[in-house]
Amino acid sequence: MLLRSWITFSVIFSLALVLIFVGFLVSASLPFFLDYGLSPIVSSEWYPYEDLYGFLPALVGSAWAIVIALAIALPCGLAAAIVSVEILPQRYHGLINLCIDILAGIPSVVYGLLGIALLLPWLKNNLDLLSGHSLLAAGLLLAVMILPTITRLSQDALRDVDNSYREAASSLGLDWSQRLFSVLLPQAWPGIRSASLLATGRGLGETIAVMLVVGSIDRIPEPWYNLLAPAQTITSRIGREMGEASVGSSQWSALMACGLVLTLCVMLLSILAHAPRKRLARG
Amino acid sequence: MANRFTQALLIALALPAIAVPLACLLYLLMRGLPGFDSNLFSLNLGESGFGSSQGIMAQVIGSLALSILSCLLALPLAIGLSLYSRLYAGPRSNSVMQHVLTTFQSIPPLVYGLCGLVVFVHLLGWGISLAAGAIVLAMIILPVLTLNTIHALERVPSDYTDAARALGMSPSRVVWHVWRPRAWRSLLTGLFLAVARTLSETAPILFTATVFSGASWPNSLFAPVTSLQTHIFYLAQEAVDENAVARAWSSALVLVTLVAMFSLIAHLLNRRRSHHG
Repeated sequence: MLLRSWITFSVIFSLALVLIFVGFLVSASLPFFLDYGLSPIVSSEWYPYEDLYGFLPALVGSAWAIVIALAIALPCGLAAAIVSVEILPQRYHGLINLCIDILAGIPSVVYGLLGIALLLPWLKNNLDLLSGHSLLAAGLLLAVMILPTITRLSQDALRDVDNSYREAASSLGLDWSQRLFSVLLPQAWPGIRSASLLATGRGLGETIAVMLVVGSIDRIPEPWYNLLAPAQTITSRIGREMGEASVGSSQWSALMACGLVLTLCVMLLSILAHAPRKRLARG
Repeated sequence: MANRFTQALLIALALPAIAVPLACLLYLLMRGLPGFDSNLFSLNLGESGFGSSQGIMAQVIGSLALSILSCLLALPLAIGLSLYSRLYAGPRSNSVMQHVLTTFQSIPPLVYGLCGLVVFVHLLGWGISLAAGAIVLAMIILPVLTLNTIHALERVPSDYTDAARALGMSPSRVVWHVWRPRAWRSLLTGLFLAVARTLSETAPILFTATVFSGASWPNSLFAPVTSLQTHIFYLAQEAVDENAVARAWSSALVLVTLVAMFSLIAHLLNRRRSHHG
């Protein structure tokens, strides 16, 4: 009896939390979309004092930051997974896992601090920038932060490949790299794909570290590939301005709308990542 | 030849995954350790320097209070949900639940912070408070904790459950006498990982629970607290004040140590289980 009521309570309470969350997201950002329509999403001016709320600079900034991060973290993480699963003998696995755990365990704000102390001065001196605050800095920091996600999930994907495939490949006379590129990676691909999607979602939602190094200036990179200027991401904008916006103002609901857009993007990525995968036929 | 080359290339590509964490850790120790003086862990709110000379005990307590409170809030719900999934839910509702949980797990913590700001801080009028922050963190950790708990229960061999049910044991007796002894270790592992995870979150408590200065000891659930995470965040931006930067590094080292401690406990519990497995 006790058990039953406890379970019922948990289920109802959790459903209530889900409803509160969804209700909040919609009701807090709805006023904004009712007032301004959907045009802010493609407009590039964000001046709260003049009631101009264009999301484009932050959207472009977020996109650039995550593209840089993936371009670095994906090859590196995948290579780390391959090295740890396919190359190194069992007894070194602990070391790699420890390193990945350290990387995953360092809190976001500490990465921000490391970014300010190491990354910004380095960029400033080597690339002759004003302060180093830039999309490139945000991308590099994000790359480090999503590396553990990519490595771990790719390791799992490689381990999930049935050993019979490895044996079959060897008995067909394929050498190591043929086996890797034509058997193991294709087999592990669905897992690697969802690893990248989840890492993308994680990177898009990362706030504090990005906020500390991106510069928080609402400008679309000019020209579009200029990654060395200070910019803004969705999360850094919310983080910077939420404390200043007054409750119920249009800036407030504009920031909530940013939150809604971010949530929808990340939810979509998560759904894609967990979508039932087409498995290659198992032997 | 081609094999050697591919392997060497892969190892070169993978090197940052090993070098970067070690470098980060070393640098953190190098910058953080010199700041460990007798004053660091005092509760003394120094007169001068806006956070740069005072001890960080208040921040440590605030961080721990937030994360432990949030995990204690989330744990009963997580257990309840996972028991629902294992005892009553059919395959269909199980799959719905799985999808909802993974989706909510992916939502950025910042957005939970916004939700807490709107609902608890303003709508319910709690103000910036320990309670609001703890509930926000609990919402963040609930999906992960539930998935972990379901996983822990799934690992109890189904023979045990079937045998117990065949003996006519009621669900609550099965839970207490069959599942609890087999699953408590994994459950604790999940709990400690959740504490470590909530300790690392900064964005969601920035607007809901913490203030920079003025709060020392959370004497009420509805009082604002200070936390290590947000303390580092504020100090990090005071690049001109060397004391402040040094304090930020020491705080970062303390925070990383706390996170590592909870993760290590989780890891040890997990290892013992698999040995006795």
